[in-house]
Amino acid sequence: MEIDVLELSDRSAKFILSNTTAAFANGLRRAMLADVPTLAIDDVNVYNNTSVLYDEQLALRLGLIPLVTSFDDFVPQDECTCEDGCPACVISLTLSVEATADEGRMVYSGDIVSSDPKVQPAEMNIPIIELKVNQKVVLEGVAHMGYGRDHAKWQAGVACGYKNLPIITIDGCDRCGACVNVCPRNILCLGDKFVEVSDESRLNCSLCGLCQDACEIDAISVTENESSFIFTMESDGSYTVNELIINAVNTIKRKASSMGDILSTL
Amino acid sequence: MDYKCTRCKRTVEIDYQFTGIRCPYCGHRILVKERPTSIKTIKAE
Repeated sequence: MEIDVLELSDRSAKFILSNTTAAFANGLRRAMLADVPTLAIDDVNVYNNTSVLYDEQLALRLGLIPLVTSFDDFVPQDECTCEDGCPACVISLTLSVEATADEGRMVYSGDIVSSDPKVQPAEMNIPIIELKVNQKVVLEGVAHMGYGRDHAKWQAGVACGYKNLPIITIDGCDRCGACVNVCPRNILCLGDKFVEVSDESRLNCSLCGLCQDACEIDAISVTENESSFIFTMESDGSYTVNELIINAVNTIKRKASSMGDILSTL
Repeated sequence: MDYKCTRCKRTVEIDYQFTGIRCPYCGHRILVKERPTSIKTIKAE
């Protein structure tokens, strides 16, 4: 298997995964979505809420705020050795905001105060609720590690997807330009002798096949490489993309290893 | 169950049998249920 990184930042990545199967690519995608544990607010103790929003709706919004997570410092509550919650599986976050008598204010994720300085909201400007004059919200959120397969609030990977690498073959082109005109992504251009496509723009091909249909002499063909995939993924901010991929791959390795152990006992 | 009159702000107890939904002090008919002082624990889901 080969990986060719096209774009990489803390929050998003694009890479080509070659010499592998669609099953493995899909396994990696699913592991990033569902099998990498992250922190999210799970229980909310509401002390006071005079805002217009129901406590339950407020709790849901708090749960969906991504929290920066250190994979090595926390464990999911089900897998922790303690019984009643310990610093390794339970994090307390408080939110205490009151609007003044003169004007209301918006409550943002940055107003949340964490008991652990390493655990902070991934974004500080996520709006939670707008308070009118004299309204206040006082609550404590209890965050646990969890898996994306149980609830979307624990889903670290977002917008994870892949497509097969397109193969565009041009042979015997008469330079009529019909395919150039119909391509919705403008990846084809008229060269000196025939239609051309650059390596970079080839990756943007959506495999729609409109160019094939437009060509009257069948000079262009668009097929897909069955063993190469263009992978696009984003992180919600709880991990960097690097950490997310490594954790997802480790999860697959762990599952494969336990599967091997089970099979060896049969 | 105690309610609060939105006009006179006094805590009132509703007597369904004789007065119905009405403040016994000012006669106002809009009463709101006060939030209990206990801590409410809910799941974020």
